[in-house]
Amino acid sequence: METRAYFVVGDLLSTCVIGTAVGGVTGLAVPAGWSMPMGMMAGMLLGMVLALPLSLVFMPAFGAMEIMLPGMLAGMVSGMASGMAVAAGAVNGLETLAVGAGCGLLVFVYTYALNARFGGLRR
Amino acid sequence: MTDAATRDKWDRAAKTFDLMNGAGPEKRWGAVKSRLFSLMQGRVLFVAAGTGLDFRFFPPGQQIVAIDISPRMLEQATLKAASYDGELELREMDVHDLEFADGSFDQVFTSCTFCSVPNPVKGLEALRRALVPGGELHMFEHTGSRLFPFNLMLRAMTPLSRRVGPELDRDTPANVEQAGFDDIEVENVFLDVVRLIHARKV
Repeated sequence: METRAYFVVGDLLSTCVIGTAVGGVTGLAVPAGWSMPMGMMAGMLLGMVLALPLSLVFMPAFGAMEIMLPGMLAGMVSGMASGMAVAAGAVNGLETLAVGAGCGLLVFVYTYALNARFGGLRR
Repeated sequence: MTDAATRDKWDRAAKTFDLMNGAGPEKRWGAVKSRLFSLMQGRVLFVAAGTGLDFRFFPPGQQIVAIDISPRMLEQATLKAASYDGELELREMDVHDLEFADGSFDQVFTSCTFCSVPNPVKGLEALRRALVPGGELHMFEHTGSRLFPFNLMLRAMTPLSRRVGPELDRDTPANVEQAGFDDIEVENVFLDVVRLIHARKV
């Protein structure tokens, strides 16, 4: 598992920024009143489309796969959660930024937990 | 015969290769690569030299032949090879059609190579042929994943990524086995995606 502060901070920063950005864009793009599945699908697609170029911003400084994979996941999860929440009228456009940041943080924790389990394994 | 499409793809990638890979990824993977390359001994073949980013992790005093399919990549690698403290010969070559005699090398090393070789099993078979009996294959590679949802993401991104560079969903350990290598050992570096693979030609 990664323990160097520079990379831990970089991983956290990238997932949270990507999650926040996707959450914000989804909040602007998905109108309240859509059905929740439609909001979720629209958010997921937006997240997938936006996450890759956003990951490319962080990759030169912090790594390749370690940034791209969590970044894509953060974008997808953030888009789905924000899209659903906006469609349901549970949050407004600005609050989706916080939803996205939270999703980014969750993905960061999930990836580190998974890597603690599978990283370093030999067979 | 050299695969012109692959050569041209990597010639185009050479312009921005160091920008995308020269700082973060190399800093992140430097320690692991140094550990891998510290195994170098005897006559060593390094496949896919690229722009030579990995040369700084080579232990000094080795006798290494490094090949790459892209002349644009090798142009940049030449500058970095000049500062290596040992014998480091660069040659333009397609791994599918190695120009070396059977049993020319004691070891083969690769670094993020077999995500991009168009026919990975054929390429690995060529490497096996170039090794002496008992010769070793040591690889630093990114592969596909078995972990959800990363497995689906890597599969979904591959049609796009292969246009500009690597495929992201390859089962390289299985390809190594299919090419006839034995004693295969795999160590995960990041999830089950970035991996060290060791094998032997028995």
